[in-house]
Amino acid sequence: MITGTGIVKTFKQRGKVLGAREVQALRGVDFAIPKGGAASFIGESGCGKTTLGRIIAGLETYDAGDVVIGDVPMSPLKPKQRQPHFRKIQMIHQDPYSALNPTRTVHQTLHAPLSLRAKQTGRSRSWMEERAAEVLSLVGLDPGSVLSRYPHQLSGGMRQRVVIARALTVDPEMLVADEAVSMIDVSLRLGILALLKDLRERLGVSVLFITHDVATARYIGDDGELYVIYRGQVVERGPVDTIIADPVHPYTQSLLSAIPVLHGLERPGEQPVEPLESLDESQADEGCLFARRCPFRGERCEDERPLLHLAQGVPQEHACFFPERRSVIARPMSEV
Amino acid sequence: MTKSAPGVRIDGLTVVYKTPAGELPAVRDVDLTLEPGTITGIVGESGSGKSTLALSLLNAVQPPGRISAGSVEIDGLGDVVGLKNEQLRKARGKHIGYVFQAAQNSLNPLKTVGKQLLDLGRSHGVDDLRGLVREAKELLGRMGLDGARVLDSHQHELSGGMRQRVGIMLALVLNAHLVVLDEPTTALDMITQANILKIVREVHAERGLTTLVITHDIGVVAEVADRLAVMYGGRLVEQGPTREVLGAPRHPYTKGLIRAIPRLVGDIDEAQALPGRPPTLATVPAEGCVFRERCPLRMDVCDTVDPDARVDAGAGGPRAVACHAVTVKEHA
Repeated sequence: MITGTGIVKTFKQRGKVLGAREVQALRGVDFAIPKGGAASFIGESGCGKTTLGRIIAGLETYDAGDVVIGDVPMSPLKPKQRQPHFRKIQMIHQDPYSALNPTRTVHQTLHAPLSLRAKQTGRSRSWMEERAAEVLSLVGLDPGSVLSRYPHQLSGGMRQRVVIARALTVDPEMLVADEAVSMIDVSLRLGILALLKDLRERLGVSVLFITHDVATARYIGDDGELYVIYRGQVVERGPVDTIIADPVHPYTQSLLSAIPVLHGLERPGEQPVEPLESLDESQADEGCLFARRCPFRGERCEDERPLLHLAQGVPQEHACFFPERRSVIARPMSEV
Repeated sequence: MTKSAPGVRIDGLTVVYKTPAGELPAVRDVDLTLEPGTITGIVGESGSGKSTLALSLLNAVQPPGRISAGSVEIDGLGDVVGLKNEQLRKARGKHIGYVFQAAQNSLNPLKTVGKQLLDLGRSHGVDDLRGLVREAKELLGRMGLDGARVLDSHQHELSGGMRQRVGIMLALVLNAHLVVLDEPTTALDMITQANILKIVREVHAERGLTTLVITHDIGVVAEVADRLAVMYGGRLVEQGPTREVLGAPRHPYTKGLIRAIPRLVGDIDEAQALPGRPPTLATVPAEGCVFRERCPLRMDVCDTVDPDARVDAGAGGPRAVACHAVTVKEHA
């Protein structure tokens, strides 16, 4: 179980002639990802989802709140003491082309973390070879044919599998996949998503999936939780299929409305929501963060900030004063 | 100086790249017609040859690549394959606007957008630079931006969606009526993507353009294109009216590609990845069907004979598919 409470992160921009500017990347975010569970963070570029993922993976500091891994809070620990905890959380980056050292074979790539592991646990060289073959099989690669290859000899999908295999060498408890399929060929994306789901089921690894493509979030497991993040605040949270089918926050509805409709196969939703303007992080912080862009804002939204809460009548949590169900997503023609 | 939307006829186009293993075709024997005033979408994975095909429209394939056969007839320009240096340079920009892949990063980081606009105008011998700036501001305003502010900005001061719109402005400002957009929305989030696609549709209609969109994302084509062409391993395997192709795909690759799209509703197991991997320049088979290694309908003939595209006249426009199995099934 990995949890976070009240995580705050502020980036300070310096060096500008006209004084510094502060960007609130995260404004008190709570999350909980159970062992073997799945969670997805969605939102526009700049909403804070990647920052939160990096904090969870121990790659970024935070200003307030705490990350708890297992039952150990990270804040009181010294950086060195945190390391073994954060090692249980492995990051899978977006770009499998730059995540692998081009001068190293797959064997060499896996060797480095495995030898560290072998040293720690007093295991032999032959264990390392076995383990390397094992992690490659786990990710659906044939060890015999890929071990001696260099990254440029592999397709994007295979490279991403090698990256995942490398993450598995340290027996992680959680994989943080940041847009892990957006650079993979379309015909192969589902294969990587299915692999992440399979690793959850077989190894009990939890998966945190960070994406702007909501549909992909379903494919790492329909038992997963969706966190919709806007300007550093979680504005809607609940089971992935519930939020996709019945979103109540206008921001979630805008995200879902923006997904391309496969005309010919699908019928567009009846009540699409379009934001009134585009994201501007320099907008005022008073009231609801989405108010300026929200077509349904009321007077209250300008002065008061709605907080994430579980409301009556809907199964998910949301942060909106005027939640309303709207039919926004496209449906298959065959369903009608 | 109003011009009308040009038609484009690509006929038997083959583009080869010189490699240590000899000259290998990135695009092979492609026939494609862009009707005046339409939006055509080309969908393909990495290595399918879609960007090479698009560059051929400008006759801008760079060595070690070259157009080895075929023609690209553009109304008002003739066959661009035969055009030489200066003629080509003038055609690019004035007749054909091109928004490059990752247009977000293709601006000069050291110059303001306005300076780059003036460079563009001067290199094309535009006398009325004031008029050019006015036109640019108008276009940017049309796309929901503050024109004056954007022209005064450097690349790093603009968001990804804004840079993409600047790219579209630069492609259109010289009054080109044939526009090629290569991956116009990669690296943009969904809301920005929807916004850009809406702009593409509206500007296309308002200015009377012929537009070609190159993408790996079927969703993008579904949103904007009248006609859809599917490329695989350098071959055009299926084309037709977008809705018809999406609603009733015929080529097994098109079917597989559509089945591989993650969907928002419905059974999760219905969507399936295609087995195997797309071919690269080096692994494309020299003879026979390029898709056979991943094809569920593979027959003996597919190993030796490259299927020709069979064209049917349809209600919404011609449809073509290049597959032995489909031909056998439909004409048995």
